[in-house]
Amino acid sequence: MRPDPIRESVTTIGQDGTRRFLHPSIVFGSWWKARRAVAWLLIAFFAALPWVEIEGFPAVFLDIEHRRFHLLGTTLGLGDLWLLFFVITGWGFLIYATTALLGRIWCGWTCPQTVYLEHVFRVLDRLFEGDHVRRAKLDEKPWSDPSKLLRRGGRMLAYLVFCWAVAHIFLAYFISIPGLYPMITDAPLAHPAAFVAMAVATGVLFFNFWWFREQLCLIICPYGRLQSALIDDDSVIVGYDEKRGEPRGKAAPGLPAGDCVDCRRCVQVCPTGIDIRQGLQMECIACTACVDACDDVMTKLNRPTGLVRYASLRELDGGKTRFLRPRTILYAAMLVVGLIVATISVLRVQPAGFKLSRPPQTELYAVSSASVANVFRAKIQNKDEVPRRFFISAESAGTKVAVLNQSAGMVIEPQAEITLPLTLLVDRQDYRGEFNFTLRLRSEDGKISILQKAHFIGPDPRTLQK
Amino acid sequence: MTEEKNRDAKPVIMPHAYDGIQEYDQSLPNWWLFTLFASIAFAFLYWLVNFVTGAVADDRVAINAELDALEARQLAALKTLDDATLWKMSHNAQTVAEGQAVYGSLCFTCHGPTLAGMKGLGFRLNDEYWVHGNTPTAIFNNISEGISFEGKPTGMASQKVLGTGRVAAVTAYLLSLQKEGGLKAIPRKDEPSQLTP
Repeated sequence: MRPDPIRESVTTIGQDGTRRFLHPSIVFGSWWKARRAVAWLLIAFFAALPWVEIEGFPAVFLDIEHRRFHLLGTTLGLGDLWLLFFVITGWGFLIYATTALLGRIWCGWTCPQTVYLEHVFRVLDRLFEGDHVRRAKLDEKPWSDPSKLLRRGGRMLAYLVFCWAVAHIFLAYFISIPGLYPMITDAPLAHPAAFVAMAVATGVLFFNFWWFREQLCLIICPYGRLQSALIDDDSVIVGYDEKRGEPRGKAAPGLPAGDCVDCRRCVQVCPTGIDIRQGLQMECIACTACVDACDDVMTKLNRPTGLVRYASLRELDGGKTRFLRPRTILYAAMLVVGLIVATISVLRVQPAGFKLSRPPQTELYAVSSASVANVFRAKIQNKDEVPRRFFISAESAGTKVAVLNQSAGMVIEPQAEITLPLTLLVDRQDYRGEFNFTLRLRSEDGKISILQKAHFIGPDPRTLQK
Repeated sequence: MTEEKNRDAKPVIMPHAYDGIQEYDQSLPNWWLFTLFASIAFAFLYWLVNFVTGAVADDRVAINAELDALEARQLAALKTLDDATLWKMSHNAQTVAEGQAVYGSLCFTCHGPTLAGMKGLGFRLNDEYWVHGNTPTAIFNNISEGISFEGKPTGMASQKVLGTGRVAAVTAYLLSLQKEGGLKAIPRKDEPSQLTP
C-alpha cells in the first residue's frame, strides 16, 4: 500500500525516485457528471471540427505543407504569422484572468490531459480491470497469470485503438479529411511520412496515458507551476473547510468533534495522490473528485455537504470572496484590449499581398528628355482561392506619377505570387525634386485595396533646367 | 546522501540552511534522470555518427555536389550555345514565345514594351544595330553577365535571376526579329536611344 500523502513530497514518486502508480477510486457525483458532460462535448467538438466545411475548406485546416492556414473561412498565409502573437498573448491573458478568478478551472474541466484521462482512459481501466482495489491487486500479479494477461492486455489493446483514433483526428487538422482518407486506404509505404507521424503520435499518446499520466501535470506542465504567481487569497480553489471539519474523526473527550469523519474517501479518489485536507497544493488540478467524494459521505451521514468545495482561501477562513480586485480587473482589461486589437487585426487581413523593393544592379533613377523614371520591383501575392485581376496605380499629393504598362492589370492565379518590374514616370515639367507617393494595389472586383508608401528618387531639379 | 534510499521513507531535510531557508533531499524521478542520461548518450552517438565515423554524410558535401552538378550542366549547355545554335533557337516558336514572356516580365521596364528603348534607361532592341557586339553569343553574354561601360556596370546581369535557359530564350526572341547574319555594329555615341539629355 502506498504511504499517506504528505505535503513535503510527491506521492507518485518514491524517495528512491521510482514511480508509484495510483489507482484512484471513483464517486459518480454531480460534479463528476457535469465534468463528463463538458468532456464529451469537447471531445465531440475536437472530432467534428475537421469535418465541418466553411467556404470550401475545413473549419480548421493547418496546411503546413502548403503553408496555408484555414481558420473558420479565413485563409492565412505564412506572411500573416504575426497574428499568432495575439493568439498566444490572448491565450495568456485568458488563462491569467480565469485563474485569478476561478483557480485551475482549466486543468479540472477542459485540459485535454484531464479530459481524455478521466473520461476515456480511466473508463477503460474500470471496464477491463474493475474497481481500484482489483486494479491494485492486478499490479501484484505476474504477467503469466492468464487473468492479468487478458485484462491488462485487453486494456492495452483498447488504449492503442483509442490513441490511434485520436492521432488520426489530430492528423486531420494538418492534412484535412479528404487528404487523410487516401492515406488510410493506401498502403503505409505510399505515404511514409504521414504514416510515421501517425505512428509516433499514437505511441506518444499511448505512453502518456498508459504510463506518464499525472506526471505531466505535476512536473512538465508550466501552467501548474505558475499557479502560485497567478492566484491569491480570493481565487476560487477546491479547498477543505478546516474550521468546520477539524478536529477530524473521533473527538477527544470534552471537545466537540468536527464534521470530517476521517473516512479518507477524498484521498482515495484523488488522481494526483494528495490529501486535500492538507491545504492548497501544487499537485491539485482542481478536478473536484474529492468534492464529490466528501459530499457523498456527508449526505449519507445527514450532514450538510460542502466540507470540501469550491471556495477561496479567504472564504474558508471565514471571510467573503472579493471577485473585483486590482488583479482580476487588470487581467480582464488586458484580455478585452487584446481581443479588440486581435479582432481588428484579423478583419484587416487582406487576401492579397503587396510588397515593394528596388531591383538590384540597376540605377536608382533615369532621366530622359521627357521624363524622370524610377524602377521598382513589386511582389504581388493572391492568397485567395479564386483568380483575381489586379491593377496598380500611383497616388501622389503634388506630382503626377504614371505607372508604365499597367493599364490592363494582371491576373494572378489562386495562391500564386508574381514579381513584377514597375516603371514609374514623372514628366520633366512636373518634377520638383524627390517626393513621397503611394502605390495602390486594387482588385478588379474592388474587394482588395492595399497601399504601399514609396519614395521617388531623382536628381536635383535645378540640374534639369536648361 | 549516498546510502540507498527507501522508497517509502519520509523526505530528509538537509543539514545546511541559507538565509534561514532549508531544503529537502528529494530524488529526481527516475524517468527524468533517464531523459538526462538518454540525451547524453544520444549526443555521444550523434557526435560519433556525424563527426567521427562519417557514417552520415555532411550536408555541405551533398549540397556542394549538387551545386557542382548544376554548374557542370550549365557550363555544358553554354558550350553548345554558339551562334548557329542561337539562330536555330530563334526559329523555334516555343522558345521565342518563352523569351517574349520573359521579356514582358522583366526587360521591358528599361528597353520598352515595344523594344523601342527608353532614353537614359535602355537601348532599343528593334533595329539591326548593336553597340556591345553584333553576334548572337555577344548578345547572350550581355544579357547574362551585364555590360560594363567606362568601368561602370550598366545593364542587368540576369544570369542569377533568370538562369541560362531563360537568358537563351530571351536571346532567341530578340534574334527572331532579326535577319540571320544581318546584325550590324554601331558606335555607342551613334546609338540614339540611350543618350541622356
